[in-house]
Amino acid sequence: MKRETDYGYALKSVYGPEDVAGFDYSRDLNDPGGYPYTRGYYPEGYRSRMWTQRMTAGLGTSVDANKVLKKYRDMGQVGGICVISDRVFSDCIDPDHPLGRREAGVLGWPGCSLLEFEEMMEDIPLTGQSITLLGSSAPSTLRLAYVVALAQKRGIDPSKIHGSVMESPFENYFGQTDVSPFDLNLKLFLDASEYVLRNKIRMRASIISQHFQESGGNSAQALAVNLSMVKEICGRLVNERGLDFDTTSLLPYELVSIGTRFFEEIAKMRALRRMYARMAREEFGAKTEKACQLLMAVHTSGRTMTYQQPLNNIARCAIQTLAGVIGGCSALDNATLDNAHSEPSALAARMSLNTQHIVAYESGAADVVDPLAGSYFVEALTNQVEEEGYKIYNEIQSMGGMVAALKRGFIQEMLSAEAAKKFREIDNKERLVVGVNHLVIPPEDDFEIPIQEVHSQDSEKIADRMAQWKPTRDQALLNATIAQLYADARKDDRFNLMPSIIEAVKAYATVGEVMGVIRKGRGLSYDPFEMIECPFTFE
Amino acid sequence: MLKGKGIKVIVSMIGLDGHTTGGEIVARVLRDAGFEVIYLGATQTPEMILQAAIQEDVDVIGISSHASNYLQIEYLVELLRKNGMADVPVICGGNIPKHVANQLKGRGVAEVFPPGSPSSDIVGYIVENARGARRRSA
Repeated sequence: MKRETDYGYALKSVYGPEDVAGFDYSRDLNDPGGYPYTRGYYPEGYRSRMWTQRMTAGLGTSVDANKVLKKYRDMGQVGGICVISDRVFSDCIDPDHPLGRREAGVLGWPGCSLLEFEEMMEDIPLTGQSITLLGSSAPSTLRLAYVVALAQKRGIDPSKIHGSVMESPFENYFGQTDVSPFDLNLKLFLDASEYVLRNKIRMRASIISQHFQESGGNSAQALAVNLSMVKEICGRLVNERGLDFDTTSLLPYELVSIGTRFFEEIAKMRALRRMYARMAREEFGAKTEKACQLLMAVHTSGRTMTYQQPLNNIARCAIQTLAGVIGGCSALDNATLDNAHSEPSALAARMSLNTQHIVAYESGAADVVDPLAGSYFVEALTNQVEEEGYKIYNEIQSMGGMVAALKRGFIQEMLSAEAAKKFREIDNKERLVVGVNHLVIPPEDDFEIPIQEVHSQDSEKIADRMAQWKPTRDQALLNATIAQLYADARKDDRFNLMPSIIEAVKAYATVGEVMGVIRKGRGLSYDPFEMIECPFTFE
Repeated sequence: MLKGKGIKVIVSMIGLDGHTTGGEIVARVLRDAGFEVIYLGATQTPEMILQAAIQEDVDVIGISSHASNYLQIEYLVELLRKNGMADVPVICGGNIPKHVANQLKGRGVAEVFPPGSPSSDIVGYIVENARGARRRSA
C-alpha cells in the first residue's frame, strides 16, 4: 500500500519541528481574519457565521423539484437551496427538441424556461437564503435571467438576492461536457459576470476545481488549475470589460472537492486561501481585505462513494464532511451513500444532511477556528501542496494562462494521465478501497439500499407540456425581444447580451430559442445538433 | 501480453450525457490491453453510434453511462438488431442501479459493469464475448 499523498509526496511516520523549519506565524498563517487568511476569514469562525448546510436537488418536473426543496427546508436546510439541471437544459436545447424529448427531467431539473423556474420556486423565498443553480456553463446567462426576472415580478430588488447561478466555462474540459463551443461559453460567462458586478447583484460565479478533481486530478494540480481559472476570469474582466480587480474579486467562489484523505484535504483548503490572497495582492494589486478572500464551498467527493457495500459511504461522507468543516468552508453539500447507484434517495439525502448537522452540533468542530493550526504534520502538508501547486501554476502561466494551456492540450493531458494513474493504483491495490479491492464480500451478501426511481416517461410529459405551452405565449412580445437579441448577438464580443437575454426570458423565450438565436447571430447553426430549424425569421 | 489484439471496440457516452471521465479511462485501459478503440465521446445519439459501428465494423460497443436515460441504451440494442448487427454485444459501465442493470440485460445488453470493476474483468469479458470470439479462438 502506498503511503504518499495523491500528488506523490512520501509521508513520514512522524512529523516534528524540523518539518516546519523557518515557520513564521504572522507571515505563513496569521490569526483568523488576517492576511494571508490561511486560518480563514472570520476571527470567530463558524461562531459568527455557520456554513450553509445544503443538499443538491433536481429530478423529474419543476413541480417535483419544488416539493423536494420544501422537504429539504423541513429537514433543516434553511441557509440556501442548490439545484442541478438536467442534461437538456445543460445543453441549451428544449424538452420538445427530438433529443430533449428522450432525457428531459431524467437526471436533474428541466429548467428550460422562466415558467419552469417559477414553478420550482413557488412559495420558496428568493431572499434570506442563497440561491444556487448548477448544471453546466452554457446556460449561465439563462439562470441569471430567471433570477432577475422573477425578482422583478415579485417586486424584489435583485441586489437583495445572493447565491450563485453562473459556472465557469472551463469545466467542459473536466469531464462535464456540454455541446456549446468554448469561445461562446466564455463570452456569455463574462457577459453574465459583468452584469452582476455592474448591477451590484450578489451572485457569485462558481469556479469549479471540484470537477477537475472528481475527474481524477490531484490536490496540487487542483490548486494550480483553480488559481489559473480565477486569474484568467478576473484578468479578462479587468482587461476586456474595464472593471477594477477589487470589484471582480466579488465574483468567484470556489467549489472544492473533499475526499477521504483527511489531513491532505484540510491542507489543500488552507493552502488555497493563502495562495489566492497572495495572487490577489501581488499579481492584481488588490486594495481591500475582502478582495484577498476567496469564498470556498465544499462538495464531498461523489467519486469516492462506492457501489460495493454502499453503507460504508456513510463513514466516508462523515470523514469528508469533518475535513471540509475543519478546512473552513462557507457552504457544504454532500455526496450521498447511493451516489454510485442512482440519484439520491430521500433516505440517502437525509443521511447526508444529518451528517452535516452532527458535525455542526455534536462534534465540537465548529467551536474553534482552524483547530489543526500548528500541527507539524498539517503545516508541513499545507506547505508541501502549496509548493507543488505553484510549480504547476507557474508552468500554466508560462504558457500564457489557463485558456492558452487548454488550447495546447496541456491541462487535458495532465488530467487524463493522472486519472489513469489513480485507476491503476486501485486496480493494482497500491491504494486500498474497502469493499472494492480490499475486504471484498460476495455481491449476494451485500446490503440492499433503497434506490431512487428515475421515471423515463417524465421526459415525454415535460416535452409535451412545453410543445403545447409554446403557442400560448404573447407571440408579438416574444418576436420583438428575440429580434433585439439577434441584432445584439451580431455585435462584437464585448457587447453585453445580458439585458436582451433578460427581456427575451421575461417574454418566456426558452433556452433553445435564446441560445439558438445567439448562435445564429454568431454564424453558427440554430440547433447545435442540426436537427431542427430556427422558428423565427429576421429581416 | 496484448489480449485485445485484433478486436475493435467503440467506447461512447449515449444521448446528452456529458460525463466523460469513466469512458475515457476505460478507453485507455482497453488500448493498453491491445484493443483497437474507437472513442466517440459525448453527445452521441443511438443512431450515431449505430452508424459508427457499421462504418468501423466493430466487434463490441461499450457505453459509459452516468446521467443518461437508460431507454436509449435499449434503443441502441434494438437499432443494432434491426440492422443485422445483433452479434455485436453492447456492454455498459457506470452508476446504473442493479434493477436497471437486470432490466437492460433482459432486453439484450450483454453485460453491465458497476463502478469499481477491475480492468481484468472488463478485458477478460470482452475477449471472450466480442463478435467472432469463438472464431478467433478456434
